[in-house]
Amino acid sequence: MVENIVEMENIIKNFGLVHAVKTGNFNLRKGEIHSLIGENGAGKSTMMKLLYGMYPIDGGSIKVRGQLLENLTPKIAIENGIGMVHQEFMLVENLTVLENIILGFEPTKGSVIDFDLARKTVTKFIEQYGMNVQLNKKVHQISVGEAQRVEIIKILTRGAEVIILDEPTAVLTPQEADRLFEIMENLKNDGKSIIFISHKLNEVMKVSDRITVMRHGDYMGTVKKEDTSPSELAKMMIGREVFLDLKKEKATPGEVICQVKDLWTSGNKETSKVRGISFDVRAGEIVGLAGIDGNGQSELVEAITGLRKIEKGSVTLDGKDITNLSPKKIRENGMTHIPEDRNLRGLNRQLTIKDNLLASRIDDKKFKHHFLRKDSSILEESNNLIGEFDIRPTDPETLLSSLSGGNAQKIVVAREISTVGNLLVAAQPTRGVDIGAIESIRSIIQEQKKKGIGIILISADLEEIISLSDRIIVIHEGHISGKIDVKDANEENLGLLMMGGKDTSREGLNLEGLNE
Amino acid sequence: MNNTIEKIVKVLLTIIVSFLVGAIFILIIDENPLDAYTALIEGAFSGKLMFGTTLANFTPLLLTSIAFAIAAKAGAFNVGVEGEIFLGGIAAAYIGINWTFLPAPLLYVACFAGAIIVGAAWAWIPGVLKAYYNVSEVCTTILMNTVAVYLTSYLVNGPMSGGGVNAQSADVAVTLKQFMRPSSANVGIIISIIVSILIIVMYYKTSFGFKLKSVGSNPSFSDCMGIDSKKIFVKAMMLSGAIGGLVGCIEVLGVHGYYLDNFATNLGINGMLAALIVKSNLVMCPPLAFFLAILRTGALRMQQSTGVPKSLVDTITAIFIIFATMDSLFNLDVFKKIKRKKPFDTKLAKGVK
Repeated sequence: MVENIVEMENIIKNFGLVHAVKTGNFNLRKGEIHSLIGENGAGKSTMMKLLYGMYPIDGGSIKVRGQLLENLTPKIAIENGIGMVHQEFMLVENLTVLENIILGFEPTKGSVIDFDLARKTVTKFIEQYGMNVQLNKKVHQISVGEAQRVEIIKILTRGAEVIILDEPTAVLTPQEADRLFEIMENLKNDGKSIIFISHKLNEVMKVSDRITVMRHGDYMGTVKKEDTSPSELAKMMIGREVFLDLKKEKATPGEVICQVKDLWTSGNKETSKVRGISFDVRAGEIVGLAGIDGNGQSELVEAITGLRKIEKGSVTLDGKDITNLSPKKIRENGMTHIPEDRNLRGLNRQLTIKDNLLASRIDDKKFKHHFLRKDSSILEESNNLIGEFDIRPTDPETLLSSLSGGNAQKIVVAREISTVGNLLVAAQPTRGVDIGAIESIRSIIQEQKKKGIGIILISADLEEIISLSDRIIVIHEGHISGKIDVKDANEENLGLLMMGGKDTSREGLNLEGLNE
Repeated sequence: MNNTIEKIVKVLLTIIVSFLVGAIFILIIDENPLDAYTALIEGAFSGKLMFGTTLANFTPLLLTSIAFAIAAKAGAFNVGVEGEIFLGGIAAAYIGINWTFLPAPLLYVACFAGAIIVGAAWAWIPGVLKAYYNVSEVCTTILMNTVAVYLTSYLVNGPMSGGGVNAQSADVAVTLKQFMRPSSANVGIIISIIVSILIIVMYYKTSFGFKLKSVGSNPSFSDCMGIDSKKIFVKAMMLSGAIGGLVGCIEVLGVHGYYLDNFATNLGINGMLAALIVKSNLVMCPPLAFFLAILRTGALRMQQSTGVPKSLVDTITAIFIIFATMDSLFNLDVFKKIKRKKPFDTKLAKGVK
């Protein structure tokens, strides 16, 4: 029999009246990568926080190396060789990487910190697992992927044998994610055991040895990777078949709806973040904008939607010049916008569902009589939208702060789709939402296309770009590094273009290249 | 609804605790707290003079607390209400003294309009500075208060002086009717109440009110929705300033009948305190302003009849604010069930159903 390093049996965890975990079962063998998957709110993060001692359990047992642990706290968990990399990194921005790693466990020489010894120890880990980090840089100067590696080193130096990674790839680019997977493999070969929390099935299939599925706080089963498939996992996760690979409607593009010409704009910190981008969007087609985060896509979207000043170039919508108009005017001209950051721009968490659903239309005659808001029609329209887009909870007076990611995003989508427009700018429409919501949001976008609306889709998820778009534009450092028809696109050639390289692997590829 | 009851209970508890702490101070100076508090309440209500004075104190406090709160709804911390009162007052006085060619009804309108316009214009400056140049409105409004004080002081000592010994202007030609004499209660209180109700309705029922709320809670979201957060911010500041100007006009026309130097000292600040205690909840501002008015009026009687100095009231108010800002002080069991959980868990609660 294989040794189980962690055994969690019949775990129960309630938060007041909420049953976060009802039947939690999970065991981890030494030297395996074990994925824990489920929709948002399925209880997977809670399970791992229980293992790490962040909350007390209400029932069941946790054994580590056969030994029953009661009244677990993070301190006891660390002493038992359990380490956790949280979704939000716990790093001090103004300290260097090295200082962050040794923080709280500083080796001392007399009364001063022995940085030489610290550096030696840490370097050993870095080399052993092939982690590329710069010890002397301050944390705010390094990338997200690097910060994540720092977190991993941090828990390794504290003697972790069991490493919990809570949705580690949510913040990474595909390339960075691949690098993380390599490191995970190295750790595994060295005998460490890894718990990988995710809801991205393709990643789970790539890295795991075994997979445990949870749904609504219940244990749904543990399977070996060899014995399962993504569609079977998806079925276990949400209890029915899911179709993420929607049958793509053939595009019948009409006239040009939106024209972006030689657009230049600056970022918050850098000037010329977007440097001369031009493209067209026609009615009834989806143009996908791919690129690694921070290469100017966000700024481009802001410039098009009137939230950022355009320094040079122009944007026309339906034949009308909308360059540097106010967001309100641009909306009046028919542009709708799903912003990339739903907590910042997409939603107002302190308002109710109905206010969020109709915020862009408060001045419509339908919802306003002289100065007063028409509460009855506001309520009626909200109830319609809640029903149509299957938003839960269904009470329009609910405050938004109590909603899950998927339902919150549905509100953004509902608001933008219900506004009549001719161009939809959808930035990261499915970021951080569960698989059920991804499915419905994607099919909504497809429907819009069928209605003849032009769509610009910006996504960090290549799979999403490929499965939805008709044409793909890749952006690198503020330039267009390539335009590809979707039938020629795959993750490799897009990935290459995202890194700024030219794709030469395929002949006959339509590479229009840079605009200059 | 539950939420509102919880808020009211919390304010009441805060009041009780503040008085208890005040009682400790009274005991320390060897007086009887019960006697002192009885005198305080009696002082605010017994007799026409005292009750009238309470009402006269309530009038400006009500409006200044509303003025501060409405700016706070849009995310502005307007410390400048006081300056706006001074300038509104001087504008009303100038018009009331010099524009006597107007028939009386029009002169009233002119006084009020002038005060409101001047107040709004004064608040426009910090509003624009904050919205478009990111200069802290807290800083600018505090500084501009000083400017307003000295500017009006100069005017009333110089060009607009009434010629008497005191630093005051000549009498204005129109006044607001006083009642409950010899207190200075006047019909300004009716104007105050009407304006407060209008502002509350505006905030909760109109689309402009919604925009204020939206901008105050998330300007980025508002911009994205086509609500210009900068413009709304400036408008909110101007609205707040307009109310401040109105207070100045009521005080000059209703209480004094002329412009008295430094007449508004602490009026704005006290209103701000009232608003801060109720966390700028517009509906709770009026009762709180009334409560503070009682404290101010009753303090005098308390000092006369017991030997407890009237500044005790300031101590109680200060303690009040400290407790009111401690959010979790009164998380009683009843509320705990709702409150204890982190957002993450309530999210589950509502989502799973």
